[in-house]
Amino acid sequence: MKSRNKKECVAMLLAGGQGTRLGVLTQDVAKPAVPFGGKYRIIDFPLSNCVNSGIDTIGVLTQYQPFELNQYIGNGQPWDLDRLSGGAYVLPPYVKGKEGEWYKGTANAIYQNINFIDRFNPEYVVVLSGDHIYKMDYDKMLAAHKAKGADCTIAVIGVTLEEASRFGIMNTDKDDRIFEFEEKPKQPKSTNASMGIYVFTWSVLRRYLIDDEADEKSQNDFGKNVIPKMLADGRKLYAYRFRGYWKDVGTISSLWEANMDLLDASSGLNLNDPSWKIYARNSAEPPHFSAGSADIRNSIVSEGAMVLGSVRRSVISHSAYIGLGAVIEDSVIFPDAVIKAGAVVRHAIVAEGAVIGEGAKIGETQKAPVKGEWQIAVVGPGVKIAPSVAVAPAEMVKEDK
Amino acid sequence: MNGVMGVIFASDNENKLNELTIHRTTASLPFCGRYRLIDFTLSNFVNSGITQIGIVTRSNYSSLMDHIRMGRDWDLNRKNGGLSVFPPFVLNSSREMYKGKIEAIYSIQGFIRRSPEDYVLLSNSNIAMNIDFDEVMAAHLAAQADITMLVHKAKTTTSRRLVVEADENEVKDLYISVTPSSEDKLLGLNVYLIKKDLLLSLVEHEYARGHVDFEKDILMKQLGSLKMHPFVVKRHAAIVDDVRTYYNESMKVLDPAVREELFYGDSIIYTKVKDSVPTLYKENACVKNSLIADGCEIDGLVENSILFRGVKVEKGAEVRNSIIMEDGKVMKNGSVCYAITDKNVTVTAGRTISGYESYPVVIVKDKTV
Repeated sequence: MKSRNKKECVAMLLAGGQGTRLGVLTQDVAKPAVPFGGKYRIIDFPLSNCVNSGIDTIGVLTQYQPFELNQYIGNGQPWDLDRLSGGAYVLPPYVKGKEGEWYKGTANAIYQNINFIDRFNPEYVVVLSGDHIYKMDYDKMLAAHKAKGADCTIAVIGVTLEEASRFGIMNTDKDDRIFEFEEKPKQPKSTNASMGIYVFTWSVLRRYLIDDEADEKSQNDFGKNVIPKMLADGRKLYAYRFRGYWKDVGTISSLWEANMDLLDASSGLNLNDPSWKIYARNSAEPPHFSAGSADIRNSIVSEGAMVLGSVRRSVISHSAYIGLGAVIEDSVIFPDAVIKAGAVVRHAIVAEGAVIGEGAKIGETQKAPVKGEWQIAVVGPGVKIAPSVAVAPAEMVKEDK
Repeated sequence: MNGVMGVIFASDNENKLNELTIHRTTASLPFCGRYRLIDFTLSNFVNSGITQIGIVTRSNYSSLMDHIRMGRDWDLNRKNGGLSVFPPFVLNSSREMYKGKIEAIYSIQGFIRRSPEDYVLLSNSNIAMNIDFDEVMAAHLAAQADITMLVHKAKTTTSRRLVVEADENEVKDLYISVTPSSEDKLLGLNVYLIKKDLLLSLVEHEYARGHVDFEKDILMKQLGSLKMHPFVVKRHAAIVDDVRTYYNESMKVLDPAVREELFYGDSIIYTKVKDSVPTLYKENACVKNSLIADGCEIDGLVENSILFRGVKVEKGAEVRNSIIMEDGKVMKNGSVCYAITDKNVTVTAGRTISGYESYPVVIVKDKTV
């Protein structure tokens, strides 16, 4: 293998997630392409983290509804990933030899791209998922991986004991060496939740992927198969403790919460950080306009938006329109959505290009989540809600109503 | 539009823009919350398929270079054509800066001659409009004109404007006006479409005689001998040539109809992307009739104003009828009225800055009040 293209570390970003729990929001786009925070998409976070961590070679593994994601990533220029050597590569499943197949699982997705990774002859591979909101320096994690001489390092975050049964839990010894991995344990022994971020020594992972592929019983998944196999073989697996904001935005409730966290200075999610910018493809819109009739408080508003109504505790994305007398509270309005005059939107997500008719009523004020889930009303992308129609809390509108 | 190249003069009327152009060219004057004036001309060029573009600079062009870099934000980082930025010197051997557009064109005649295009669009950089130059070219050919000049209907003010007397097809008379008028006239926008060979021969002829002023020494002199066609721009066009027009043209953009014409016309107006976060409105924010760029934090009152990127307005602070450029800060109970504060100006707690509608005060870059 020629070493002129060598990269010490290559990142593989799993962006094929169907995101079924996001319902109508992922009807036409992959989960990582879902808008977030007024001007971003979820995938901007792992991509920006990579670039800020000094990783300039990223394979983005797409599968489900890849078109919008492909177009969004393009040549990678917004993230400074249009490089002569390295850069962003969109890697859909493809036909090899006689067979072509979908990515069967997370491990299989990497397995199918062994040739891609080998081109860069890396020492290490970082495996990331495209559905979390967080800022993290992967370089520090890589340094920990090297210092421990690990075969695999898994980032973990402390969660409460009740939450622990919803995550993959890493049980570690005093030295943070992982001796046991439990997927969603009923009686968790510790509170170290896996963040779905792995650093592997490539030569080791490469062998495990080939063996895993040969095992017909395997589901070809990192959490279910590869990691348990490595543990069983006595490989050196370490936990890397992350302190900071991290959120899985796999559900409507958590996606809404993460957006609300942007409004709360104490949430730990601060994007206004010149040393760790989150990059996004720019919408090329003029500044937003707050009209004489507008009344905006405790909210964020992005470029190209036009606000004539009242906005409280909400996220107004680029190019959204909030009409005269409209009331937006505790809601997330995606790009290009139109809220017409007098409409009331509370505890809701209004998706891209949706149109809420005059006087329509979307959602209701929620005091607290029910069994951990906020009852968020969702109006799907491009859906038109007729004037004065009501949409109930937790209702998900897929078609014009 | 493959047959047309563009030439932009980055500096004009800098002496009249006073404090605003101490550190920059007219081309890089911040406008409309997130743009620089040159963004409009560059975007119009690119959107009309004009991708061979020369920019002739004058003094203080480092801010312009910093803004346009390699032209990537306008899709002008090309193998063929793209952006060429020329320093302000007439000749290699000379340390002297060009005095007028004739000298400027003469100094880049090699670039113009070598470019494969047959036509040149000349433009000053103090114009904000949204236009499709294909239409200008079609009109030029239909009128069988030698020179097509862009004009708009407006009232003259005290700033130096070229008044164009013309019928639908042809320019009859040209003169410079510095007296305000009460009725609309056709005023030149300093944008010209001309065949390359004709331009070069006219420039060479006048340069040899020591003439420098394109309007006076070429256009006015050639009235009658060359066919000049007036192309009337019907959409909004802003010309910025002194502090007052800068302020007035900025404030006009608060009108949704003007914004519609400026930003939602044929072209997308591109600018340098800075990856700022969306603007945060806090508990005490009260923002009325204002244009707010990304990255601001507002906890006070903002009325009839334009905030550029990264501006902070603290609790109890008031900003009225003002333009606050990038990274400006109005601290607790500070007050700004009828003012233009340049980049990174801080108004400390409780301080008041106030100008008049007819005379907005300008606070220069990096100052603390």
